[in-house]
Amino acid sequence: MNTSTNAEEINFTIDESLILVHDKAETREEIINKLGKLLFDQGFVKDSYTQAVIDRERTYPTGLQAKVAGVAVPHTDTDHVNHPAIAIATLANPINFHVMGSPEDQVPVEIVIMLAVHDAKLVIPILRKVIFILENDQALLKMKNANSKIEIKKAMLDHIKELKEKEKTK
Amino acid sequence: MYKVRIVVVCGSGVAMAMHAAYKLREHLEKEKLYVHIDGSGNNELASRIDNYDMIVSNAQVTVKTDKPIFNAIPLITGVGEKDLVDQIIQKVKEIQTAKNSN
Repeated sequence: MNTSTNAEEINFTIDESLILVHDKAETREEIINKLGKLLFDQGFVKDSYTQAVIDRERTYPTGLQAKVAGVAVPHTDTDHVNHPAIAIATLANPINFHVMGSPEDQVPVEIVIMLAVHDAKLVIPILRKVIFILENDQALLKMKNANSKIEIKKAMLDHIKELKEKEKTK
Repeated sequence: MYKVRIVVVCGSGVAMAMHAAYKLREHLEKEKLYVHIDGSGNNELASRIDNYDMIVSNAQVTVKTDKPIFNAIPLITGVGEKDLVDQIIQKVKEIQTAKNSN
């Protein structure tokens, strides 16, 4: 398992090997499958994970309209996950996701942040920082416009670092 | 003073409800409002709803209830967050006034 970059004291992996840049996927299922495969191949999730995410997306969609981009945060129950990680894709062409809380609406998504959570209570401090990127316009723009995996990872890690520093000064 | 009980709901209670509950708690503590806030998965809501005065949800609430329901999404995206928090503050105060006069 690749744990070369841990964003936090707990083993929450954010790594280039879990990132896709300007991916040409055309459907929700396609991009969820691609990210799920990255997570599965490195042992972060069980083989049931990807289908569970696709199924859950139908019942509880995760498309969100942030100020500067459409973002989806597909995830599923903790039983399908071995080790916590996030997989990120930016899309060459926006894919419509149904909107969280309003499944009849759709939002064109340019950034997919797929969450693999094994224990919600344990990872919530770092997971909250990841989700907070939805409110960080600059970080989202950097991520959306990034041309390399390293830039995408850096946008996320810089965002998390910024939040940590803010918390310290509180 | 009556403590207003709020439940924040998402699909599975894995991530989004906990995040939104945390943010709402910060907002309401700033207002020095007397509240209790929990996170919940949508599937547990039916068995837990009686314990709460108000629901803030980013999943469609399928449980039948007369209790006030707010959409949690602004707490997650930050878009429209101030309006939502103002509405919730207003409602918390209404509930407290009603309960205290009983």
